[in-house]
Amino acid sequence: MLERMFNEIPRFFEYYSAIFLLKAMGTTLLMTLLGVGLGFLLGFLIVYLRQTPGMLWLPVRVIAITYVEVFRRIPFLVILYLVLFFIQAVSPNASLFTIATIGICMLSVAYTSEIIRAGFESVPRQQVEAAAAMNFSRWKILRKVIVPQSWPVILPPAFAFMVSFIKDTALVSQIGVVELTFAGKVMNNRGYSALLVYGTILILYFILSYPLTRLGAHLEKRLAPTKDQ
Amino acid sequence: MNYTFQFGVALESLPALLKASVLTVELSFFAFWGGALIGLAGAAAKTFGGSVVRHLAQAYVVFFTNTPALLQIYLLYYGLPEVGILLPSFTCVLLGLTLNAGAYLTEIQRAGFLSVRQTEIEAAETLGMSLWQQIRFVIVPHIAKTIYPPLANMFLILILGSSMAAVFSVDELTGTAINISTETYRWLEMFTLVAGVYIVLTFIASLMLALVGKRFFRVKARVF
Repeated sequence: MLERMFNEIPRFFEYYSAIFLLKAMGTTLLMTLLGVGLGFLLGFLIVYLRQTPGMLWLPVRVIAITYVEVFRRIPFLVILYLVLFFIQAVSPNASLFTIATIGICMLSVAYTSEIIRAGFESVPRQQVEAAAAMNFSRWKILRKVIVPQSWPVILPPAFAFMVSFIKDTALVSQIGVVELTFAGKVMNNRGYSALLVYGTILILYFILSYPLTRLGAHLEKRLAPTKDQ
Repeated sequence: MNYTFQFGVALESLPALLKASVLTVELSFFAFWGGALIGLAGAAAKTFGGSVVRHLAQAYVVFFTNTPALLQIYLLYYGLPEVGILLPSFTCVLLGLTLNAGAYLTEIQRAGFLSVRQTEIEAAETLGMSLWQQIRFVIVPHIAKTIYPPLANMFLILILGSSMAAVFSVDELTGTAINISTETYRWLEMFTLVAGVYIVLTFIASLMLALVGKRFFRVKARVF
């Protein structure tokens, strides 16, 4: 039965399928980078809002905390469908790539903000109090005291999260974005053996993810000593 | 935006969703315990195994943690029939999720094995503890403390991950929502409701896991 698969191999690995698959691989990577990158920036904003003082900001704090807790409990597929149909109701002309990126961003915000918060909380409380006693503004405390000390704590798990999200973006194929998994479906529909197509796609994901995982582990080792100086 | 929300149709299908959520729980429950067994074997292989066994376990972990679970199920679902194995879609999804979870659970349980120090077992022996006492008072508390929180977390991830089954026409929570939405065209309302069900479901799960952890393993697991 595997004969069919072996017969297809030379036909499968021709120039045009290679171009098609490489392009799809680029889409997967770009979508992840954009989505998680934006999510990381918005994560900073969420943490900043969560740590606002006083009763006046209480509603903002509640919203920020609720957002994080709620979105960590909804499957990515459900979020994707929600974003897809919401955005299509608002602006019917939005491209699927944009929709997918927004979906990735909305989910990754919830996770990256927790990573950032853990990093910020690793800075000793006394330093923040000392800075406040020296009349630093909240923004200045963040920029001069918290961020310089917490980025070695934040970076390794944030990087690991981004790499793990490359795999999660496979679900985006369900709303029709031509990324790696969708490319696999297209090839399979052209009549190539599923074993061959999905096996190749699986290996391509591995090629994308494994070096980055190793880089992340390396990063963690490099940055670890600065944590307990 | 000229979209009018009408939750009527979605709310009518709430009983169907609740019924489907049983399948979601089943899927994540079996995948978790299957994965835990694979993980136990994998962790034992990585910690105590010879060179060949250790490398095999390592290859399994590296391969399955670096590729998407969705693609692993695709390969099983569409690839196995080509070699003449026909499985129902539920079995296929369960098998894929189990194999994927097994890789992550291998790493978690290996960390548990490493948390027990040889010197502590020797100390227990010196105190005249029997093997059973050593397991009960020294080994299990150590392992439980290290692995219970990540295990609980893995179970929640599996509840969310089981939504992938919808892609393979298994009628669990997300799958049922898709089926009903294609008839009623109330996608937004339906999926808002489904998101709510998932939130309640994972919240109940984390509450129960926290209670079990506190009662039996004296581990603090966070609910929020």
